[in-house]
Amino acid sequence: MEAITLIDQSVCPGDVVLDVSTIANHTIKLGGGLRQDGDVISVTKSGTLRFSNPNKYWVQISQKRYVPQQKDSVLGIVVDSRSDNFLVDIKGPALAFLPVLAFEGGTRRNIPKFEIGTLLYVRVVKANPGMNPELSCTDASGKAAEFGALKDGYMFECTTGLSRMLLSSPTCPVLDALGKKLSFEIAVGLNGRVWVNAASPHTTIIVANAVMNSETLSGAQQRIMVEKLLQKIQ
Amino acid sequence: MEEAVVVTPGEVLGTTSDVKAGRGAYAAPHNDTVYASLTGFRRILPPSLDSSDQRPTVEVTGHKAHGPVPQPGSVVIARVTKVMARTASADIMCVGSKSVREKFTGIIRQQDVRATEIDKVEMHLCFHPGDIVRAHVLSLGDARAYFLSTAKNELGVVSAESIAGATMVPVSWTEMQCPLTGQIEQRKVAKAAS
Repeated sequence: MEAITLIDQSVCPGDVVLDVSTIANHTIKLGGGLRQDGDVISVTKSGTLRFSNPNKYWVQISQKRYVPQQKDSVLGIVVDSRSDNFLVDIKGPALAFLPVLAFEGGTRRNIPKFEIGTLLYVRVVKANPGMNPELSCTDASGKAAEFGALKDGYMFECTTGLSRMLLSSPTCPVLDALGKKLSFEIAVGLNGRVWVNAASPHTTIIVANAVMNSETLSGAQQRIMVEKLLQKIQ
Repeated sequence: MEEAVVVTPGEVLGTTSDVKAGRGAYAAPHNDTVYASLTGFRRILPPSLDSSDQRPTVEVTGHKAHGPVPQPGSVVIARVTKVMARTASADIMCVGSKSVREKFTGIIRQQDVRATEIDKVEMHLCFHPGDIVRAHVLSLGDARAYFLSTAKNELGVVSAESIAGATMVPVSWTEMQCPLTGQIEQRKVAKAAS
């Protein structure tokens, strides 16, 4: 079974992607959603099979559940606070710990007081299977860099695939089209949470609805959808 | 000599001038009386001939067999249940070569995982939930768990399962390899007894 035919196609769990015995002397790197079962590489999660030169195969998955990964930027909600860290819900299998000192210039004297329910934009520092993930409100060099509590605005949930599309570069078409006509702030978490803030609730709702609708649309369709939405309003 | 006298905790077994308190008995400091601390059969052991203290020893042995209990200094086999940033919890399964009858929990702290560079230990590179470890009991610890240590060559992970589900083979004192996929995983590996 040649893998080449399945690249960029939708695959289901159980599909055999590659037979390792047919290619000798070649190392293949398997990413998420693929599993080696003896001689055969099979799919474990439904999605789109992707290949990157020279030898990386993975399945691009979009789901509502989030699996914490190191270096991801996510939106978390404070659930509890302990003496040495905050417990934050990031839509993963376990609550994440945010150390009270993980802020720029954080010392024991100026620990931020986050109430339960505060929305935070944080970075995942450590995410090992079986352990609670560790977060930080600073970037890798220790600067605050937009991390921290998000005030006002509206937060809604989406799939991880939509989050990745919104964060892709060049700018995602829906955000580009909205940005040309409206003025708003947006924060996208790779864990399937998006926060939008604008001067009026009217604008916030338009942006939120446009983003939620854009998951299955192509670039051109997204621009048409945004135009139609804005025409209806004005 | 065997006696079939059953005693309960708090029963008077004698005075300190007559008997010495052995296992299952204790001498109260405020009055010179020896009381039982367990339920069981009272046995009086004759004093050893060459000791200066010629009092017989009274002990209370259990009326049903107890499972072994971890004591400081004993080597235990435990299964890791939870791995956190600075500690790992484990369920103690065997003390020495006998399996325990009740549930005992142990904690392996970051500083007790190995003997060298103890502040640079990453717990997730030493243990994973489900690993079987051989550890040494440091102390009775706190109310929740015994303190365990794996800071010797022959202590550490004895058996572990890889992500693919196969029992891994030790490769070095920090690595184990899965026989099915060839993937290397990091653990604090116990040196196999030769």
